[in-house]
Amino acid sequence: MAVVKTLLYLLVYPGIIFLFVYSTFCEWFDRKVYARLQNRMGPTHTGRWGILQPVADFFKLMSKEDVVPDQADKRLFNLLPIVGLAIVGTSGLLLPVWHFNLAQSGFNSFSGDIIVILYLLSLPTLIFFLAGWSSTNYFSTIGGTRVLTMFFGYEVPLFMAVLSPAILANSWRLAEIAAFYQKKPWFILPNLLGFVIALICVQAKLERTPFDIPHAETEIVGGTFTEYSGKKLAFFRLMTDIELVVSSGLVAAVFLGGFPGGLWLGLLNFVVKTLFVIFLLSLLRAMTSRIRVDQVVSFAWKYLAPLAVLQLLIVILIKGLLL
Amino acid sequence: MKFTIPIGPQHPALKEPISLRMTVDGEFIRDADIRLGYNHRGLEKLAEEKTWIQNIYLTERICGICSHSHSTCYVQGVEKLMEITPPKRGNYIRYLVSELERIHSHLLWLGVAGHEAGFDSFFMYTWRDREVVMDILEMISGNRVHYAINTLGGVRRNLDEMQVKKSLEGMEILKKRSEYYFKIGVNEPTFVARLAGVGYLSKQQAIDLCAVGPTARASDIPRDVRRDDPHAVYDEVPFDVCTADTCDVLGRVVVRVKELMESYKICDFLLRNLPAGDIAVKAPRKAKPNEFLSRYEAPRGENTHYIKSNGSDKPERLKVRAPTLANYAATVEMLKNGFIADIPLIFAAIDPCICCAERTVELINGRTGAEKIVRFSELRKLAEDRFKKLPPKRNAVWPL
Amino acid sequence: MKVAVFLPELLRHLFKKPATVDYPFKKLEVPKDFRGSPFLHPGLCIACRACERDCPAEAIEIRSVSEAEKKFEMVIHNDRCIHCAQCVDSCPVTPVKAMEMDHQFEIAGFDRHDLKMKWEFVRAVLKKEPKPAPPKPESSPQSEPAQS
Repeated sequence: MAVVKTLLYLLVYPGIIFLFVYSTFCEWFDRKVYARLQNRMGPTHTGRWGILQPVADFFKLMSKEDVVPDQADKRLFNLLPIVGLAIVGTSGLLLPVWHFNLAQSGFNSFSGDIIVILYLLSLPTLIFFLAGWSSTNYFSTIGGTRVLTMFFGYEVPLFMAVLSPAILANSWRLAEIAAFYQKKPWFILPNLLGFVIALICVQAKLERTPFDIPHAETEIVGGTFTEYSGKKLAFFRLMTDIELVVSSGLVAAVFLGGFPGGLWLGLLNFVVKTLFVIFLLSLLRAMTSRIRVDQVVSFAWKYLAPLAVLQLLIVILIKGLLL
Repeated sequence: MKFTIPIGPQHPALKEPISLRMTVDGEFIRDADIRLGYNHRGLEKLAEEKTWIQNIYLTERICGICSHSHSTCYVQGVEKLMEITPPKRGNYIRYLVSELERIHSHLLWLGVAGHEAGFDSFFMYTWRDREVVMDILEMISGNRVHYAINTLGGVRRNLDEMQVKKSLEGMEILKKRSEYYFKIGVNEPTFVARLAGVGYLSKQQAIDLCAVGPTARASDIPRDVRRDDPHAVYDEVPFDVCTADTCDVLGRVVVRVKELMESYKICDFLLRNLPAGDIAVKAPRKAKPNEFLSRYEAPRGENTHYIKSNGSDKPERLKVRAPTLANYAATVEMLKNGFIADIPLIFAAIDPCICCAERTVELINGRTGAEKIVRFSELRKLAEDRFKKLPPKRNAVWPL
Repeated sequence: MKVAVFLPELLRHLFKKPATVDYPFKKLEVPKDFRGSPFLHPGLCIACRACERDCPAEAIEIRSVSEAEKKFEMVIHNDRCIHCAQCVDSCPVTPVKAMEMDHQFEIAGFDRHDLKMKWEFVRAVLKKEPKPAPPKPESSPQSEPAQS
């Protein structure tokens, strides 16, 4: 029975099928909001309101020809999309939606799982770099180096910003952090600065404008993904979508008070809160233009890191004075 | 360590094929080499085989965005050769369409600059407003691009009351929107961070390299054919030459937005003061033997057409020097010591209209250095022979 | 240097109707003088061949079918046509020209030979109008018709 339950977790919920369905829905939402902000329509006609458009894109890419460059490192080139998808899928298992037991640690909710989820979410950056490196194309190499350069900028503020609410809630376990903020909702307010920093850093992690320099279309043709086509590109895109869902789920769990309410209400909570975070990310995407990679690093270290330290100080002060 | 990156001929940053070979050193560009010829259509030779009337439509199709510039420049020259002067109302309508084309071209450029910088929302907004101009042009001339409103001796279509009223309303809407873009362009921090200090071209360099149009005007050189050589309506219409003194891409954005505001004023003046009368005079079929150099201020700079006639009803020689061709030398200078990330912006800042500036491909023998110009059929035969001699390709890898 | 200067404009657009039209389910109207494809009014044509001569794309072909009955055939190659309406301007027939442009803009097809149109007609006779006195300067925009 436990085996069947585990298999169900891995494949149906919160495994691949749930992540696939939900991430395509989130991509549709993101595209629709982005289009409406720009006074145009967004996807229409594939399914009601164009809801099936990302699914259609996925299946179209799966059916296209798969071209591997002659001089590419073939094993690495072929393996990277699957490994990437596996990594983000695993990180999706750790979000505390309803399938956890607060009293005891299970395989999907244990002390320190916030660190594990942050670690798993920083592996895709390495995967992108390796994808660019193994393609042996000038544009991909430049894209790969840009991914790593940006990594040095946003990773530190992201960690500090996401870990401040954890420090306030006195726990390293996502479920307990969420439960703490559900019991004392007023403590969400001191973390607002961290929320803004986390949003900007998540935007950089997901490589969306203003930080989409690694795959800047108008400059380096596609950056790390230049040589990928067909099924591999489909998996990379799915990986980016699932990364979007997991990152916004993480931000919602830590800053917005988690997903209380058991099975159905918890799921509803999850959907509403992640869509709110994705709305803010789309707004950020529509509002700004792309900045250069050296400007990203200097912006991150001049503004984001000090503000994240300030957020930590606020949290420590409040913890000392009030708790 | 230096290596060469090819930008083009196929690249998402370029709307037309051109090959820029950049020698890069890390993220810095050390040198650039521009190669033309991918879009050469033999228009100058074709113009020698068509009559004066048919050439109006041929010159119009040199470019899509600046189609009226080429058509007007040509027609101005031929009218001088045939010694006819178009009536006042014809001139007013012709240059009204010119200014409308300048508006549409600058709005298009603002959108493209936004897109190259990654600022897609700006791109969508400016192109949405450009639709207002396109609708006005469709109402006046019957088509959104390739207006074909010129004819030898004047224009072909007249403007009635309703069209004048609708055009004035359109100008009002656009004026408000353009002021808003000016505010955004100068104040949005990420956009300004991309544009400021990029593509520096000092005033002396611009003069030495013969830059024209907004590229030169952003380096504080007040060079504008409408002011330097006033012809037709430009000695009656009040307008200012717009310059900026920052000498970089941000200066070029500012110059183009200022020119937009000037064009709205000019269009307003022309629409309100349209004189009554005919719109065209009859033109003869043949022109006396003579030659003429016609100049015109296209949205991208100074456009010149050299026309030579020999007494028959076809031109003997038509030579087109588009403004982008004059700006290429300045572009190479601007690209040196820039970042790779700035290549699309620097190249887009001269507003490249590559199809206007095409020249033939010259084959240079690598060993002897001999040069020759070949026909397209010969080039094709060379390519097919080489393809047949290549070794067969190993199997491509299909599985995931 | 203001941050998020674009934001109010963006948010306002969330509540406006989109500026794009749901083509091909909804189409926009074309204006009155739109230049679509050329077509002939066969009863009015005098077969002067001015349009054939002035067409920049050699898209009009006029052939004589029968000399005795004065029957002609005109073929318009819409795949070569550049929609400039020079044929309409060159046509010397008054008061209604024999060539006219329609308002079609969706003329793409799979085979270029489907885009050719043919008419057979008997040459019409141009009714001579009495010359008005005093002679006004002619307001027709360009070259003389072939007949004078």
